[in-house]
Amino acid sequence: MADHAKPEDHAPNPDTDAYAHESELEAHLQTKRMVINMGPSHPATHGTVRLKVELEGETIVKIDPEIGFLHRGFQKSCENVTWTQCLPYTDRLNYLSAMMNNFGFLNAVEKLIGLEIPERAKYIRVIGSELHRLTDHLTCVGATGLEMGGFQPFLLALEFRELLFDRTAELTGARLTTSFGRVGGINRDLPEGWVEKVRKSLDRGEELITEMDALLTRNRIFVDRTKGTGIISAEDAIDFGYTGPALRACGVDYDIRKAKPYWVYDRFDFDVPVGEHGDNYDRYLVRLEEMRQSIRILRQAMDTIPAGPIIVDDWRIALPPKPEVYGTIEGVMSHFKLVMEGIQVPAGEVYDSTEASNGELGWYLVSDGRGRPYKVHVRAPGFPVLAAVPHIIEGKMLADLIPTFDTINMIGGEVEQ
Amino acid sequence: MSRVLTILTACITIVVAMFGGVASAYLVGGLVEEHWFTGASRLTNILFLILVFVMIIATLLTMAERKWSAFIQDRMGPNMARIGLPGLKNRSLGGLPHILTDVLKMLTKEDFIPAAANRFLFNLGPILAFAPVFALFAVVPAGPSVNVFGHRVDMVVATPDFGMLYILAIASLAVYGTALAGWASNNKFALLGGVRATSQMIAYEVALGLSLVGLFLAFSSVQLPAIVGELGSAVGLGTGQAQYLWRTDGEFDLGLPAWGIILQPLGFLGFFAASFAETKRAPFDLPEGESEIIGYFVEYSGMKFGLFMISEFVEVVVLAGVTTALFLGGHHLPFGGEWLASQPLMQEHGWLFGTILGTVFWLKVLFLIWVQLLIRWTFPRFRYDQIQALGWKILLPMGLANVFVSGALVLWDPSLRALAVLGILELGVLAVLTMTRKEPAEAGGAHGAHGGAHGGHDTHGHGLPAGAHAAHAMPAHGAAHASTH
Repeated sequence: MADHAKPEDHAPNPDTDAYAHESELEAHLQTKRMVINMGPSHPATHGTVRLKVELEGETIVKIDPEIGFLHRGFQKSCENVTWTQCLPYTDRLNYLSAMMNNFGFLNAVEKLIGLEIPERAKYIRVIGSELHRLTDHLTCVGATGLEMGGFQPFLLALEFRELLFDRTAELTGARLTTSFGRVGGINRDLPEGWVEKVRKSLDRGEELITEMDALLTRNRIFVDRTKGTGIISAEDAIDFGYTGPALRACGVDYDIRKAKPYWVYDRFDFDVPVGEHGDNYDRYLVRLEEMRQSIRILRQAMDTIPAGPIIVDDWRIALPPKPEVYGTIEGVMSHFKLVMEGIQVPAGEVYDSTEASNGELGWYLVSDGRGRPYKVHVRAPGFPVLAAVPHIIEGKMLADLIPTFDTINMIGGEVEQ
Repeated sequence: MSRVLTILTACITIVVAMFGGVASAYLVGGLVEEHWFTGASRLTNILFLILVFVMIIATLLTMAERKWSAFIQDRMGPNMARIGLPGLKNRSLGGLPHILTDVLKMLTKEDFIPAAANRFLFNLGPILAFAPVFALFAVVPAGPSVNVFGHRVDMVVATPDFGMLYILAIASLAVYGTALAGWASNNKFALLGGVRATSQMIAYEVALGLSLVGLFLAFSSVQLPAIVGELGSAVGLGTGQAQYLWRTDGEFDLGLPAWGIILQPLGFLGFFAASFAETKRAPFDLPEGESEIIGYFVEYSGMKFGLFMISEFVEVVVLAGVTTALFLGGHHLPFGGEWLASQPLMQEHGWLFGTILGTVFWLKVLFLIWVQLLIRWTFPRFRYDQIQALGWKILLPMGLANVFVSGALVLWDPSLRALAVLGILELGVLAVLTMTRKEPAEAGGAHGAHGGAHGGHDTHGHGLPAGAHAAHAMPAHGAAHASTH
């Protein structure tokens, strides 16, 4: 650039003006950035999300996740129905682990009421939650394999998931949208012989997980693609509000089931796997191990589940038994009031959280004491996880986006409320 | 049990069909030599080898791949297409009618051309991708040259002097189809796919050629018929891969044949990996990369997409054919070939001898196709930079080293025995590496660190100890692992 100091260079010179200047010749080839839209309908976007990706070659310069394609007005819908009627809406938050949303919501409502639920109900909630933690992790790990081109692990995962969905259907009557549990306990006891069936499914499932593990964990291509990609440091993860497997993969030992045990989690012997590097490979390993731990919890819970009532015997909260409804005036009246007016949750506000499959599922509920929620807000674990995607992936390759997006496991339904 | 029976029936049907195909190829070849003109059998070879064998196998592969992947993945596979003919009613026929439905679907779909696409190049893309892969098979000998009706019939379309160089040249033409398809679609995803395909081809062309040089040195030829070789007889010893490195004395010839895979295991691995990359199938399916960029053919529909699809399958067949001819002894039996050739029956009926060896060739091809399917359905996809690193940093130096070592050994011992000893040693090392249950040292350190994520938290002694994971490594995984590194 020293040439610019000489004034004669700037004078028009018809002989040389057409030639490229020396500095231009030495400059790097000018490249154009390419903007591509991944999504809203793209094989690798879970749920419906649009990633506006700015590429330089195959390197991602800028990425802008755009949500809103799955917005269904969850919060507003909840304000118009009774507390119990909110349940079907919660199913559709994280549709892969509906029971955890159900129970998390119920737990928060019970906290607002100040209600202690029966022992057996707590056990059933643990069993349901862990079943659905398994299905969620299976989908995530299987899809990770699938989207990197390995079809086989996905089908192994789906085989186990199908078994679990069958069990879920036997328990709740639905495969995905369970709407299981009621304020004060559970609406339906474990079916006859169900525990044995679950044990068998878990035996088969352990084989399938082992097989999946064998196909992926030591597969050189899989390791190359996941290890050292999609890294987020523990500090950044906490700053972004990471929870769940994605946070634990960074080396932060935080699991609400251990840190603030709810229901009966403190009675079970299980470990919380913690990663080290915060990369895709660690997130994958953490999820794989969590599945094994979930199976462990399930076995213990099914072995030690006590007999007893499954819902509180309080007709202001739980529906009276059918003979009472048909036979007594008190039963009819409470049934009518519960159905028409809803549970009279005392006025107040509460924040309560449970450990869902992808992290802390928090509920902020406000009640004005009129039988309907005044405000329902969900702290969806997928939201901060998605928010950090630009931080993680900018400057990396396009192909890294896929495993990263898979292993953070953002679920469209819960991100958009 | 019924599944085993089905598979057995299918195997026997395949062998019989191949036998019939090869036999008719020889007989028709002999007939036209007799009645038309000398050399007419080469023309019928075009018909039989390329249109009948390669095309039919490729078509059946679309089915076989789905069925085989279903077996791998513990599901039924396609079985819903049925034909309402008497006697066949409600039989799935192993899913064969699906081929018909596939074709019908492809042919009846809307032929969509994006408004902003370059129409000429857009239409040219599938053709350019399709045509070269067919032409590749022209120089591959699929059976011995025998006398049929008193005329010499070769089971090869062309025997140019430049032999393998023809394959390398034509194979690199196929990338134009892919690149053009990516560019002419005027779609960003397709463009990315086209660029990926181009860079992948360039990276692997070099390794592909280099991995074969050792073989050329060993057999002093680039012609495929010369590399496959002629069987020894009373007159002289065998040549090419038909010769024996060591053999027993006696009527029945038993010994270690000089097959390419024994002389050049590294060359085989390099060639197989590189040509696998050329077929653009998993784990090298970056140009397609369906979960990332959907693929270079994203804008193609109907039969144009079908052409891309079928050209991939044709490539699989051709790759298996070339690899068989180069490294697996072509149409020769591993032993007993000379004994078989000297039988009076075989002497009398040349076509029968040719047919048996031709069937052997196609069986070897089927085996290699099966290996490719197995790899394709077991592995995840590479990343763009990893695939370049594999090509330039592993396959290329490996190929170079192989050339120098092979060259020195061929000079030192022209009987190829020294080369074979080294090859067997290499095979042994590869087998040990594959069977070993520990990770290689360089990866081991990194994994140790990750062990913290996996085994470290297991204070209660429930989960698997860190070492136990090694026991899960599946044989197929290991074998293919070795072949890609």
